[in-house]
Amino acid sequence: MEKKLKIVGFLCNWCSYAGADLAGISRYQYPANIRIIRVPCSGRVNPLLILKCFQEGADGVLVSGCHPGECHYKEGNYYARRRMLMFKNLLDYFGIDKRRFNMSWVSASEGAKWADIVKKVVEDVMAASQEKTDL
Amino acid sequence: MLQMLKGIKAKNHLESIKYFLRYLLQEKRVDAVLVPKRHPNGRSVSHALITDPLNTEGSDPLAPVQTVNAACILKELTKEPTDKKIAVVLRPCEVRAAIELIKIKQVSDENLYMIGYDCPGVYDAKEYMNIIEKEEDREKFTLKYIEAFLSDKKEEIRESCSYCMYFTADSADINMAWIGLNSSDLVIGVNTEKGKKLINDLETEEISDSSRRKEKIGMISTGRKQIQKDRIDNFLDLIQPCIRCYNCREVCPLCYCKECLLEPEKMGYSSVRYMNRAIKKKQIKMPDDTVLYHLTKINHMGYSCVSCGICEQACPMDIPLGMIYNVFSRKIQALFDYVPGRSRDEELPVTTFREEELSEVEDIQQPRGK
Repeated sequence: MEKKLKIVGFLCNWCSYAGADLAGISRYQYPANIRIIRVPCSGRVNPLLILKCFQEGADGVLVSGCHPGECHYKEGNYYARRRMLMFKNLLDYFGIDKRRFNMSWVSASEGAKWADIVKKVVEDVMAASQEKTDL
Repeated sequence: MLQMLKGIKAKNHLESIKYFLRYLLQEKRVDAVLVPKRHPNGRSVSHALITDPLNTEGSDPLAPVQTVNAACILKELTKEPTDKKIAVVLRPCEVRAAIELIKIKQVSDENLYMIGYDCPGVYDAKEYMNIIEKEEDREKFTLKYIEAFLSDKKEEIRESCSYCMYFTADSADINMAWIGLNSSDLVIGVNTEKGKKLINDLETEEISDSSRRKEKIGMISTGRKQIQKDRIDNFLDLIQPCIRCYNCREVCPLCYCKECLLEPEKMGYSSVRYMNRAIKKKQIKMPDDTVLYHLTKINHMGYSCVSCGICEQACPMDIPLGMIYNVFSRKIQALFDYVPGRSRDEELPVTTFREEELSEVEDIQQPRGK
């Protein structure tokens, strides 16, 4: 990677965080650009948190939770899905490339998927316009 | 179905509303009415909670000015349960805001009777006060304004009203209709059981032919659709003058949180932190986080925004907030095919979900178990 990208990942405690953990244990290689923040549930992620990340200079944000129907709190990720879609649709207006924000579902057993997703997200963010907006 | 109230043959729209309100109070159908009222020498109108039928004289709900979104007053009036019945005269945007607030239990409609009407739009409050100062007969000015609206003469209305698509109060308990109808009668639409109760012993006659009304409403809607903006290209430039005075939050009927996360003490930083941020980013704008403030606000209430435009009127820096919030919120609402205040049975987009939907959110498509 010629440029050091910083991507903030909000991972739910029950699936995605465990999935990332598994990726580590299983020694899957993936880019080290991601900084992981563990949250109780993807439904906990307030759009303000993501905006703050962008404001403070993050290149990309990834929100990851349990697969729909598998949420530890039964329905948190369904709400997250709606909120994040709303948020994503507004990103264009304030000069943030849509590709800089991603959402994914990773279960605790999907270490390989997690590694793939991080690779993909890094590519996406790399391709996105890196114009910094002063929020 | 529209009905004509037979007993009421008033001179004009304003008289017929007043007559109706007086009737409600006299017959003890309600204990109070909330209606914008004109002070004898005042330049503007303000809402009054009237309990004496005689005091309905001087009320002017149709005056082309919106000082506050009346849904905010309803929050205050119904925060504790009472057994007193209140009839409120509301603009369509206020009806819609009130219904959104009912859904999130900020307004109780148990003893509330909402009376809406076909809204001709309003002036900007400051502009209205300047105009009205020169007018001799202020009530006449209101009537002239309505006549001009009904006969399709273009009136100068504030921007957020000029592209308003919901100018008939179809979700109120009772809506008074005059677009495309004979002006000498008081024609009402009864939309709920409660509305029916309110007028159950009045003699009514059904209006069979409302095709002219439909046609007219369609005409106005198409005209307005064209003015409506679908995109904002220079959002960051538009929002730049913001001084974060919180006016738009204070007047917004849908910013209902008792404790707001945008409060200065929650959003602000320590002095050291400000310095550090300035060093890191080379410069920061002060007051800071103005863009973040608006983006968070729109993310929090955008799905319910009724585009009443009261935020634009309250903005001391003349930021076209009404337009910005209209464009943003319509985009959000379209995702869920949601129209705020359309029906009481529709759930807010963020308080409900379907299991199979929105698969596009996870755009990093990977087959499971790979």
